[in-house]
Amino acid sequence: MTDLTLSPMNQPVLPAPRPYWGWVAARLFRPLLVRLCAAYLAVLVIIALLVPLIANGQPYTCVVPAVAGHAAIREYPLFRDLSSVDLILLLVAGALAAQGVIMSRSRRLSGPQRLMRRRIGAVVITGITILAGSLIAALHSNRLDATNYRSLARHGVITHAVFPPVRWGFAEMEPLSKGLINQLPSRRHWLGTDGDGRDELSRLLWGARIAMGVGFVSQIIALAMGIVVGALTGYFGGIFDIILMRLVEMVESIPTFFLILTFVAVYGRHILDIMVIIGVTSWTGYARLLRAEFFRIRNLDYVLAAQGTGMPLWRVLFKHMLPNGVTPVLVSAGFGLAGAVTIEASLSYLGVGVQPPTASWGSMLNSAGNPATIFRWWQALGPGMLIFITVLAFNLFAESLRDAIDPTTMGRR
Amino acid sequence: MTTYIIRRLLLMIPTLLGMTFMLFAVVRFAPGLTTSGGQVSGGIMQSRQAQKQEQQIMERRLHLVDKNGHPINLAMQYFLWLKSTCEGHLGTSLVYQEPVLTLIEQRLPVTLTINAIAMAVIYLVSLPGGLITALNQGRFIDKGYGFFSLALYSLPVIWLGSTLLGFFANPQYFNWFPSAGLHSTNTGNMTFFRYIADYLYHIVLPIVCSVYGGFAFLSKQIRGSILENLQQDYVRTARAKGLPESTVLVRHVFRNSLLNLITLTGMSLPGLLGGSVIIEQIFSINGMGRLAYTSTLSRDLPVIQDLALVGSVLTLLCYLAVDICYHLADPRVIYD
Repeated sequence: MTDLTLSPMNQPVLPAPRPYWGWVAARLFRPLLVRLCAAYLAVLVIIALLVPLIANGQPYTCVVPAVAGHAAIREYPLFRDLSSVDLILLLVAGALAAQGVIMSRSRRLSGPQRLMRRRIGAVVITGITILAGSLIAALHSNRLDATNYRSLARHGVITHAVFPPVRWGFAEMEPLSKGLINQLPSRRHWLGTDGDGRDELSRLLWGARIAMGVGFVSQIIALAMGIVVGALTGYFGGIFDIILMRLVEMVESIPTFFLILTFVAVYGRHILDIMVIIGVTSWTGYARLLRAEFFRIRNLDYVLAAQGTGMPLWRVLFKHMLPNGVTPVLVSAGFGLAGAVTIEASLSYLGVGVQPPTASWGSMLNSAGNPATIFRWWQALGPGMLIFITVLAFNLFAESLRDAIDPTTMGRR
Repeated sequence: MTTYIIRRLLLMIPTLLGMTFMLFAVVRFAPGLTTSGGQVSGGIMQSRQAQKQEQQIMERRLHLVDKNGHPINLAMQYFLWLKSTCEGHLGTSLVYQEPVLTLIEQRLPVTLTINAIAMAVIYLVSLPGGLITALNQGRFIDKGYGFFSLALYSLPVIWLGSTLLGFFANPQYFNWFPSAGLHSTNTGNMTFFRYIADYLYHIVLPIVCSVYGGFAFLSKQIRGSILENLQQDYVRTARAKGLPESTVLVRHVFRNSLLNLITLTGMSLPGLLGGSVIIEQIFSINGMGRLAYTSTLSRDLPVIQDLALVGSVLTLLCYLAVDICYHLADPRVIYD
């Protein structure tokens, strides 16, 4: 097939002029498979943010009936007992939704007005989120409620109880006396129970929060480090380049999993530790990519023009050069997300990742039994499939993004 | 070439120095690792005195205190550690009570053999795969293979490994393969070929788990480099002078595409070393990866530190070997 794009004689008919990212998005989401991947990942992110409202042992609301001398009281156990992490993530979900509303409402406006509206919206929403989030982190105290609301509702102690779709918390165990451990799927537990009598479905949903949280936070850390190092080395070259690239080489020379194990052995296994550890061991690829891009664009006319107007360095670097050099880094970040999800699951499977009773897909795989003697494959199927599909979705998405931004594939498809 | 190698070796020195410093810093600022008899990371069952003794041994081994028990300052600690490492005295394990060097000598061949076999299998599949997909670019077989190998690449080892083990090495289902180790118990009275066969029988499942992820990456790279070479002038020349298409493909295109493989092979070796952690743990194989894992669990800091050190020296040597091999294979490539 002749390559239309490279010959000046046969310029392909381009779609109506639109912003670069709009153009990329239009090309990216054309195949059905990519749309499916995006929808799956979006659902996973929503589950990760809202999981306490989806899988929880407490009802949204219930009524304690009137007894002698006391009027009936309406209670909201689930909302009352949300932890500060839950609240902050709900806040983030709200902020994302608000930004989405602003984006869609401002679509009809003219260019500069739209930009203005969106920018102000983003600043206001981020400000409110950070303020409210730090207030929650500082003031909210988590409380533990071990009341079994399901049995209360059954025995009529509370009435009008409205439960979430999945009526089990991730750490709620069936009492040992009932012998409901390692159960097959049933009406009581839709995907069965694990070895401690905990609901598998609830743990799968809560595991999405760990996987997505570790994936996104670790890659944001890695991107931040990679972008700073890559921008500095690529823009300045010289002594910066020599010193920082030695640093990159040092980190790269240690086999990644060994390095991660070293960090884990030394600094512990809290979920925040895991996020930071995966982040600081996976930034070198981003730095290399951005460095190469900055080498290429630092002598282009628009960069020289930007420098000539005397604007501050950070503005040249991050407002003029970064948007033009960041696309390969974003593609790589898609693969990085897949890698981070895999690494978290592997660490948790090996027992050196997030610690019990936190639900992680990796540790759920591990608790499916010692494979050489007892293997309860139905317990391994759920977390295994979820890790597989999530990683595959990230990989497919990244690969399609690479094709979408690649000008040499413009005539094809 | 000799000058180049010497220069490369010299350039490795600052990298190695920096890396030792980094490893030293990472381990030395470990919470709970203090000279003032602070927190002790021993088992729960130990008496207070045993814990204290263990703490003293660890402090001595990690050069935290001198022979008389006086604390040493940080710079001196680093210097002492570096000195003994350069002299070839790696640390001593706190758990096995053996020099780390002995442990590595026992386990490195195990890991290297398995990885070498895995590499061979990956090439056996990826070379034809890459060739076929490149020749059918854009057709169904190309897209199908691409998607299939990406799916394999995304399949988590922990799931496939435990599922294979659970179904095919388990009296509950099919007890076809051994579930752990590399040899049967009665290796003493085996003939050589029987011994090899026994070994191969034991590594079937581990090899399956370590190869499938590599297909996607490698065949994609081979596909790319074949496509690139197909557009070169020398291919047109070869075709123009009437060579049969098979000769053009095999003698000209394929041979030139193999050059890229040198780089890829060298670059992927460190990854295999790291990836062996999971596979060796699932299949209970006593290699480097399992050593790293068990020392992480027991917080055996000297072993972890030295494993990362040895791993990175191996990596740097791999990179150097790549460049030298590349020059040997293609004398046109000159480094300066």
